[in-house]
Amino acid sequence: MSFSLDTAALSPERSTLRLHGRLDALTFGDFDGGAAPVLEQMGQGGTVVLDLSALDYISSAGLRSIAKIRKAMRAREGHTLLVNPQPQVRKVFEIVKAVPVSDVFSSVAELDEYLDRIQKRVLGGEDDDV
Amino acid sequence: MVLRSIASRLAAWVLAGTLLVVVAGGFLLFRVIREQILQQTHRESAVLAGDVSHRIQHRLDKVADTAQTLAALIGPRPDDAETLISDALRHNADLAGLAAAYVPVSMDAASPGRSPFVSRQGDGRLVTRDLLKDPAPYWTQAWFRTGLGCSVGCWQQPFFSQSRQRQLVNYSAAILAGGRAVGVLNADVTLEWLQGVLQNLNKPKGTEAFVIDRQGVYLATDGPVLAGRRAQDELVAALRGDTDEPIRHTGILAAHAGAPVWIYHAPIDGTHWQFGLVVPEEQIYAGVRRTFSVALSVGALALLSLTLLTLVVTRRVLSPLGVLTERAEQVAKGALDFALPTVRRRDEVGRLTHAFDRMRHELADHLAELGRVAREQQRLASELEIAQQIQTALLPGAHFLDARCHNFELHAVLKPARTVGGDLYSYFMLHDQRFYIMVGDVSDKGIPAALFMARAITLAKALAPRAQSPQQLLQLLNQDLCRNNDGCMFVSLLCGLLDTATGHFSMASAGHEPPVLWGDGAPRLLDIETGPALGLDEEATYSSRRVRLRPGETLLMYTDGITEATDASLSMYGQERMLACLARYAAQAEGDPAGYLLADVEAFAAGHGQADDITVLALRWHHAGADGSASMLDLTMPASIEAVFDALRHCDEQLASAGVAQGVRDDVRLVLEELMVNMAEHGRPPDGDARIELRMALAADAVLVDLHHDGQAFNPLLSPVPQLTGDVADREIDGGLGIHLVRAMASDFSYAHDEQGNHLQLRFILPS
Repeated sequence: MSFSLDTAALSPERSTLRLHGRLDALTFGDFDGGAAPVLEQMGQGGTVVLDLSALDYISSAGLRSIAKIRKAMRAREGHTLLVNPQPQVRKVFEIVKAVPVSDVFSSVAELDEYLDRIQKRVLGGEDDDV
Repeated sequence: MVLRSIASRLAAWVLAGTLLVVVAGGFLLFRVIREQILQQTHRESAVLAGDVSHRIQHRLDKVADTAQTLAALIGPRPDDAETLISDALRHNADLAGLAAAYVPVSMDAASPGRSPFVSRQGDGRLVTRDLLKDPAPYWTQAWFRTGLGCSVGCWQQPFFSQSRQRQLVNYSAAILAGGRAVGVLNADVTLEWLQGVLQNLNKPKGTEAFVIDRQGVYLATDGPVLAGRRAQDELVAALRGDTDEPIRHTGILAAHAGAPVWIYHAPIDGTHWQFGLVVPEEQIYAGVRRTFSVALSVGALALLSLTLLTLVVTRRVLSPLGVLTERAEQVAKGALDFALPTVRRRDEVGRLTHAFDRMRHELADHLAELGRVAREQQRLASELEIAQQIQTALLPGAHFLDARCHNFELHAVLKPARTVGGDLYSYFMLHDQRFYIMVGDVSDKGIPAALFMARAITLAKALAPRAQSPQQLLQLLNQDLCRNNDGCMFVSLLCGLLDTATGHFSMASAGHEPPVLWGDGAPRLLDIETGPALGLDEEATYSSRRVRLRPGETLLMYTDGITEATDASLSMYGQERMLACLARYAAQAEGDPAGYLLADVEAFAAGHGQADDITVLALRWHHAGADGSASMLDLTMPASIEAVFDALRHCDEQLASAGVAQGVRDDVRLVLEELMVNMAEHGRPPDGDARIELRMALAADAVLVDLHHDGQAFNPLLSPVPQLTGDVADREIDGGLGIHLVRAMASDFSYAHDEQGNHLQLRFILPS
């Protein structure tokens, strides 16, 4: 199998999907299938983190799957964040301007820091704009 | 030079003409005058002859009178005979001797002294002799007997007297007694006397006179001694004729031996003699001859003067002509600046001089004009030469060997009929190792054709990278050439595109001759559907044909200069001969097939010359294979997702094993996936399954991919650029992203569609 999905840490607020291998016209079905239960259990305003550090390759079919997840999360007023895209994936994203730069993080640590900041702002009086 | 001049000839002709007239007239006049002179001489001489004969007669009459008187006196008195005779002789000096003799029968006769004979000696003494005492009796003598018969007296024959040693002639008169002749009185005169008479005649100088008797014996002449000799018979006969008729005779006298003379004769009355006056003809004419020679001399002098005058006048009148002749020779040498003779009169020469002057000026103008034209032509020629160099520079080399892979070899030859021509050939490599070949023929010849050819060849090269296939190139070219083509020039073009990796050759024809292909078999014409020639119909479309060249095969393209070459008998070379020639080449020859064919055509048309531009281009496919752009992959698969991903895996493995960097491999994979998935999902034809052909090759600096799909036409280059908002979630889901990725990833990308389907060519540059 050239693609695999790791959905270890799931919660309605924040779920992380780890993608492995190649996401293309042959494998996007697997990804869609694996991501569907995760999206179902996501709560309103939740965050889906796609960990791309192990994703070697993406094609337009894979982009469409990621777009579907982003649309679904947007419908729930949530976020889809991408972590550590590899060169090929990053190149494809840049070409098609797939996601806003603010939604892409170079590492999990950076992501955690960002999420913590968000959490504090939400909890501490909402005087900060996003 | 002098003799050749008009003046000399004119003078000579004048001289000759007048000479002829003068001589002819003179001769005629001479004849007439001579005749008149002759007649006059005849008259005068006849009168003179008559006169002279009278005078001689007068002298002779005196002798005769004396004799007759004496005979009358002596007859009755014979005794006084001697006295009378002596006295008579003494008083008449004309007489040489006198004799009286009687017939002997009478008594008187026998008496002595009755027959005296007195003769005059040479010293003038008178001697008397008695005839009776002569030893021979006188009465037996002829003179006596004849004398007896001459009762009235008669002249006898001349004779030679032995006693006196002289030529004599005697006059005899009978002595009558009683009416009967009893004796003879004989009077002698010498012929010298007669000759003296003749010599003393007052006759014209140069003439001669003679007396001749009835027998034709000369009695006397005043010239040479002819006395006693007999004249020629014809003269004698003539003398017996009419006395009024002058006789023309030749050779009568020694002095005039051989020269003709005129003889005027008159009878001497009382005798049987004739007097003749001899006038040499020469003498008659001498006067008129002299006159005429004088006249001739004067005439000749006059003629000579006339000739000289003519010569001088003509030379003077024609002298400007000589100058004009020299000037004309100068004109022939190119010199036009010279002085002409002054015109003195408005005669022919004057008009000629004026005309010559005009001619010189017009000639100078004309020469200047000619020089200008020549310079212009020279300039045009040099421009044409430069044009030829430029045109030649437009053509690529005559031999092309694919240096990178030795997969193919190309020979070309172009031979314009004039300095510049309308044929063209071109070939060039596109960046993706695709090789364009074209051969074309512009309508018409010469400079317009050359310019149109330049336009066509330049446009073709410029448009080729944009065109994805030969038929598209033809279409683009056609549209461009139709623009502003008011002259309705057109070009037939056969255009081919060779995949230098695989030997796939697609071609399209715009009204051009079909190409020839041969390998192991006989050369054959490739049937190819052709569209209209370029430049005529803007809407024209072209179809293509695709062949795959096998190793060793040769494809030959040519223009109609080959097939329409004509020999001396105006028969055309034609396709049959061309195919036969190429078969001969294929059987044995090595080297350049284009040159081989051209040589054959030139030998065929040797007698007629080249009428049209000739172009031949031969492409030989070697398929050497092993090289930098070796084919890595050549797959044919059904258009299904599974097969596509199998192929992608193969691709990736090949690239990886070839050491291609990961980034490039990912790009190749992404592009191929997008394209092939698209083909598999959307390109299925309505009837049955489609197939995908994938070929990949690795060149030194790039990965080359050739993708062919026989499904529905789809040109990825023409799909619109998607709206990129910065978030894929903003978009409706569609295929636009994939094509966008393809266009972004591939370094070069070309698309063509023909009846075989879609052809995509891709190139990925390797990072250096």
